[in-house]
Amino acid sequence: MIKIVLIWIMPIQKMKGLWSVFRRRKQETSFAQFSTYNGDDSRLQIFDRNLKHKQRDRAAWLMSSKDPLLHNVADNLLDRLHDCKKDFPTALCLGGSLQAIRRSLNGRGSIEKLIMMDASSEMVQACKNDADVSSNDNIESVYVVGDEEFLPIKESSVDLVISCLGLHWTNDLPGAMIQSRLALKPDGLFLAAILGGETLKELRIACTMAQMEREGGISPRVSPLAQVRDAGNLLTRAGFTLPSVDVDEYIVKYESALELIEHLRAMGETNALFQMNTVLKRDTAVATAAIYDSLFAEEDGTVPATFQVIYMTGWKEHPSQQKAKRRGSATISFNDIQKQFGS
Amino acid sequence: MVREVMQKAGSLAKSLSDVLVCPLSKHPLRYCEVSNSLISDAIGVSFPIKNGIPFLVPRDGKILEEDVSKPNNDTNSSAVNEENQG
Repeated sequence: MIKIVLIWIMPIQKMKGLWSVFRRRKQETSFAQFSTYNGDDSRLQIFDRNLKHKQRDRAAWLMSSKDPLLHNVADNLLDRLHDCKKDFPTALCLGGSLQAIRRSLNGRGSIEKLIMMDASSEMVQACKNDADVSSNDNIESVYVVGDEEFLPIKESSVDLVISCLGLHWTNDLPGAMIQSRLALKPDGLFLAAILGGETLKELRIACTMAQMEREGGISPRVSPLAQVRDAGNLLTRAGFTLPSVDVDEYIVKYESALELIEHLRAMGETNALFQMNTVLKRDTAVATAAIYDSLFAEEDGTVPATFQVIYMTGWKEHPSQQKAKRRGSATISFNDIQKQFGS
Repeated sequence: MVREVMQKAGSLAKSLSDVLVCPLSKHPLRYCEVSNSLISDAIGVSFPIKNGIPFLVPRDGKILEEDVSKPNNDTNSSAVNEENQG
């Protein structure tokens, strides 16, 4: 058994990372922009989506029903619904940890209808079986197998889009977010958690050193991930209003690096780079585990792994939302204000 | 059993008319009872429904032959025609 201890560094990190931009860009909702599919395969492919679907199919079987990391992230994400006075009758849950979201919902956001979507059919099926066994709330659930990059949801039809640890595997993240925004009703909420660039930094270092030592060169073993500063830009670029981003760091402790890899596999978070080296020598793998242990092991013999989670929140535009006034629209001079209040 | 299946199909048809569209063209989907699939008339592709779950990943779609893509019954075809005109 993997022993997992979660440590929160949340409050400090959260305050540091929290920022808001009250600005939006006009987005045209023409058909050409709505669909990111352009019919040619020459667009940038970083991740092998088909391999990712297979990995997630396997993960559906391996995934433990109470993965503490996934449940903590899902719980933290859904807590944001408490901060909103609004109700969200129709919600769309995009790929990632569907089951964790479903279990941690507990009536938050007063969701009446929930559309569960994942690109992996096994994952959706597992989620459906799970809900059939333990359906104790009155949420009407609809299950769909769909790709985040080709969202099969009608324009302006849902009040809430939740994505928990799924969007970092999309090739076209801005496109997926634009499609989510279009699926939202006006004043709808977009909630997403993705893994950030600090994730698995220990493994990244250990892999690089082991490969340098044993093979005399390196190839990417840990996938590139979004940085915190990118997340804000992404929200603004996708046209969300009142965007906010905050960061959490979870440190999970494993008995050894091999348990870490097993956990990653059970979450479906293993490497799916398009140009990855498919050969992993046993020698290198063992060397990686040894280096990981010697560099990062703690006194109690466990090895820590960092998971940086970026939480993104954005709203679809609505006239009732606060926004900055037009430039030059002020009717009172600042000099008068100064006179009024004295200096 | 049959009633249950019918109810499932009914509820599915209702829910899909509310929210689901073709992932590629974003146009409405039509439920075909014969093949138990969702058909996107705009691009002539059918998406399967397995175990009550619609598969709307572009890779799962099948391109329909010309003669099959035409709707079988009159009500559907008139609906489609109206859509095309409108």
